[in-house]
Amino acid sequence: MKAYIQSIGAISPQNTFTGEGFLQEVMAYHHADYLKCIEPAYIDFMDPMASRRMSRIVKMGVCAALKCLRDAGIDNPGAIVTGTGLGCIADTEKFLGSLYANEEKLLNPTPFIQSTHNTVAAAIALMLKCKNYNNTFVHRGFSFEDALLDGLMLLQEHSASNVLVGGLDELTDHSYTITSRLGLWKKQSLDNLRLLDYKDDGSLPGEGVAFFLLSESKSEKSLAKINAVSTFYKPDSHAEAERKIQDFVSTHLGDIANVDFVITGMNGDRVADEVYHHLGRTLFSRLPCGYYKHLCGEYDTSSSFALYLASMILKTQQVPVVLKCDDKPVGKMKNILIYNHLRSVNHGIFLVSTC
Amino acid sequence: MEQLIQKLKEEIIEALNLSEMKPADIDEKAPLFVDGLGLDSIDALELTVLLEKKYGLKINTAEEGKKILHSVNSMAEFITANKKS
Repeated sequence: MKAYIQSIGAISPQNTFTGEGFLQEVMAYHHADYLKCIEPAYIDFMDPMASRRMSRIVKMGVCAALKCLRDAGIDNPGAIVTGTGLGCIADTEKFLGSLYANEEKLLNPTPFIQSTHNTVAAAIALMLKCKNYNNTFVHRGFSFEDALLDGLMLLQEHSASNVLVGGLDELTDHSYTITSRLGLWKKQSLDNLRLLDYKDDGSLPGEGVAFFLLSESKSEKSLAKINAVSTFYKPDSHAEAERKIQDFVSTHLGDIANVDFVITGMNGDRVADEVYHHLGRTLFSRLPCGYYKHLCGEYDTSSSFALYLASMILKTQQVPVVLKCDDKPVGKMKNILIYNHLRSVNHGIFLVSTC
Repeated sequence: MEQLIQKLKEEIIEALNLSEMKPADIDEKAPLFVDGLGLDSIDALELTVLLEKKYGLKINTAEEGKKILHSVNSMAEFITANKKS
């Protein structure tokens, strides 16, 4: 299963949407409890009348999708597939809050209608009047990976010649409070660019949206090629995770030495990062490695941000220093391996190459 | 009546997230749906909830709803005629 990435629309805590160049200006957040997206001027993409009911995540999702399609020169994609861990959580909170406050009476319809996980995919289809395949995957840390696999299969089966695939998640005050109680985040505020310096438990929460226009054929606009995507669930040990990654690389690329750069999902959590340290001593010991969650934070579909980074590295042939976590020299970029996991449960691997 | 119309316009703007509009932009005689403000069926539900929440008034049938929600004027007339003192 292979596909060419023709364009990307990414909204993140970095200047990925409107900023010039690729990570030319890195956003540093000091004393941060979480990282929030830099929102674009929605009016440039949507009529305010059309967007008036949309919550923040819906606006960001639709905006990123429209930019992605605009850049690819596509009016109507053959399919729209999204992946999200928590969906439109702000509208869900609004609806539940109103349910409680009004004693289950007189509920406003809009937050209820917009609270479903597939709202973004549906809103894109409505705006484009696109009646093609439309699907949303809500598989926690596999949400984006499964959306991408679905998109790749649609291309492989020739059910569509191009597919719009996106990963999206938002962070709200409520979800931050609840997940803090679960001990998922660092107890102290921190500087995002020093995320790996804090050697204790927990990570830095974040959010983001990234849409990719995939096609089965290469064009002048193509940024990168997705060679393979795979997932595995709760490995028994770091050695088992290593075997799974080794098998993936052997099947799709042959020798691990053919990997030019590894993007890992290191998130600063002492326990979660152990597997990356293990791989750094074993399978990845000779490879230059990087990480990305200091730029976007941790969220269920953060691997979509990693895929954005890999595509941009391959297109520009530059690895921004801020991404590197070792001093190994990087040369010409041909193959990038992304390995990420969410809370040691959902593990995803991507192999992305030059076109 | 004038006061009620002005208040209704403000409430409609808030309930329907018409943040780009001011009360003066809404013609109280013009239809709210399709031709006038261009509202849709979800807005009709929001306005029904607004009437019940703010004025304690229920719309009982779809036919009745069409007449009451025709314009800001018709909503104000309905409120004036039915508001519990």
